[in-house]
Amino acid sequence: MFMQLTLSGLAQGAIYALIALSLTVVYRSTTVVNFGHGDFVMAGAFLSYVLVVLGGVAFLPAGALAVVAMFVLGVLFNRGLIRPILGGPHIGLALMCIAGGYVLRGIARMVWGREVLPMPPVFDMPPIFFGSLVITGDAIVIISTVLVLLLCFFGLLALTDLGKMVQAVYQSPRGARLIGLNVDRFNDVSWGVGAALGALGGILVAPVTLLHPDLGASFLIKGFAAMTLGGFGSLGGAVLGGVLLGVGEQYAGAYLDSSLIEITAYVIIVLVLFVRPQGLLGRKAVVKV
Amino acid sequence: MRKITALFAMLAFTAAPAFAQDAGWETQGLTDDSITIGVMGPFSGNASSYSKAMVGMMAYYQKVNDDGGVHGRKLVAVQEDTACDSAKGLAAAKKLISQDQVFMLQGNSCSGVAVALRPVVEESGIPWIVAQAVSDSISVPLARNIFHGVPTGSANGRAMASFVLSKPDTKNVAIIEHSNDWAHSYSDPAKEYLKEQGITPSLELTMERGQTDATAQVLQLREAKPDFIIAALYEAETAIFLKDLKKYGLGDIPVMGTAGTDLENTLKRTGDFDTVKNYFVIHSYVDNLDGPKMKKWADMIKKYYPDEELSTFSFVSIGSAEALVSALEKIGPDLTRSKLIAALEEVRDFDTGILSDPITWTPEDHQGVKGSAVAGFVDEKPAVLKAWGQPY
Repeated sequence: MFMQLTLSGLAQGAIYALIALSLTVVYRSTTVVNFGHGDFVMAGAFLSYVLVVLGGVAFLPAGALAVVAMFVLGVLFNRGLIRPILGGPHIGLALMCIAGGYVLRGIARMVWGREVLPMPPVFDMPPIFFGSLVITGDAIVIISTVLVLLLCFFGLLALTDLGKMVQAVYQSPRGARLIGLNVDRFNDVSWGVGAALGALGGILVAPVTLLHPDLGASFLIKGFAAMTLGGFGSLGGAVLGGVLLGVGEQYAGAYLDSSLIEITAYVIIVLVLFVRPQGLLGRKAVVKV
Repeated sequence: MRKITALFAMLAFTAAPAFAQDAGWETQGLTDDSITIGVMGPFSGNASSYSKAMVGMMAYYQKVNDDGGVHGRKLVAVQEDTACDSAKGLAAAKKLISQDQVFMLQGNSCSGVAVALRPVVEESGIPWIVAQAVSDSISVPLARNIFHGVPTGSANGRAMASFVLSKPDTKNVAIIEHSNDWAHSYSDPAKEYLKEQGITPSLELTMERGQTDATAQVLQLREAKPDFIIAALYEAETAIFLKDLKKYGLGDIPVMGTAGTDLENTLKRTGDFDTVKNYFVIHSYVDNLDGPKMKKWADMIKKYYPDEELSTFSFVSIGSAEALVSALEKIGPDLTRSKLIAALEEVRDFDTGILSDPITWTPEDHQGVKGSAVAGFVDEKPAVLKAWGQPY
């Protein structure tokens, strides 16, 4: 059972990692916590649903198209709604994110209203059995997709000039501006990447769960918990936090009480904030006066 | 003497507005040509498919209106969304009662919400017919103005456990449920029935609403090897649970579900017959959904809501709406809230032609429907069953 729980937790955690990472990308570039991000996840899932079920497009190209569309939406969201108020109070930014998310949710409700929609099975490959361990198609697809994506993402950050530019903006937007980097455009791209990564989480989870306009709310909480556990603002921490949360939920549900699964994220948020506020990989904030 | 007269005069003066308010209260929400009815339901959120029950009920109102209404009055539904959330439900109820000033309430899916509303509605005194939520604690202990128009959880829970034990050699029963009032309203009476038969559930698991994965629960079930599983889960979670059962090789274990799910939609949601072939649900109707006895109701809903996709829930509230209209007709044109409550308490063995059991409301018992059948797939087609392998 332990191995099975770990595998399932890794698959679930991979989704959380993706969502936490996408939240962190936006947070690091603009210091905005996107409280509407759950709805970007939902929108990605619904877009792929529309393309697959209504448009008859195969899942893979449909997923890619949905990711691109969500990237564009993220860029437009930043340009149209966030950038004009970026210098204002944080509460205004948070409310703008919530409002944007609710608009997406409202559109989904207008179109699909009261329906809970099933995505046709796309990971429908026969499970592989190793004794009592069952390796399912969805676990393989989710874990491998997220793994490849993370390798590309962190490879890009660590090994390329583009990555160095990203680090520069993260460390000091003003400094980056002084050396000629277009920080506004960088922020646009960050919002686009954040929206696209979140959407990918929704696209991957769509075939294993059911779609409804409120789908994103629970993923947002999981994303926050993963960010908190890994360290707020740490890209690697977000991934680590997501994976640990996914696995932790499974262990808590199986070995302690199944009712704990849903509150694991909240327990983690409370514990981390008390015991190690900077999270596992975050830096302790030092305020010099 | 003068002092006593003055005291009475003062009392009469202070009480007058109250009496006037009472007289007005009795007919609040009524005009010469309309009766406003507050219809609450989860029109949004992941339990929003339950609001199909309200749509079916409102289609019946429209049919009644097209037939001339009740003593010349049209039934006017004022719709409010609860999103299956207690806080939103409370806000909706208060709005309907205080702001919209509806004559009565009918509807409500989601027992947790209905239980939370009970004190508010009871205090208001306005008639409320609960037309989908099943928790016993909505209508017990008795509240003079609250009537249950569907089989309650205790009736359904016992029916579920009875069906489970009707399968030969069933000894090991596991239960998986949400941790809310709605789920307990099924599982508690089911456990009570099992206990009466000398069986204690081998495993009691929780799957919370909104969970997208049931691996931890399914793996525990794999170790417990139950003969039958009782699942008190909402639609979305049922589909996820059944998918995970099949995924981990437990698809052959029969699962008994609640009236909160149906076979057709569960099949649609899982997208695979193998996943639902051993799934059974409480079925409160006289026939299969596509059976001849249900056709006229399906046609009625489609007439008024052509785009509405029908499910089991579409029909569940029509029976109590029929009982309401029958009571309103008996009262005559001189309608008040008190008269309606009295008339509802006189409903006896009312055959709705849609629910499998009749509706009886008495002054002592407002839980109107006492029984239910079970539906399951037989030869890959939905069938109504009395017990394991026995047609209804």
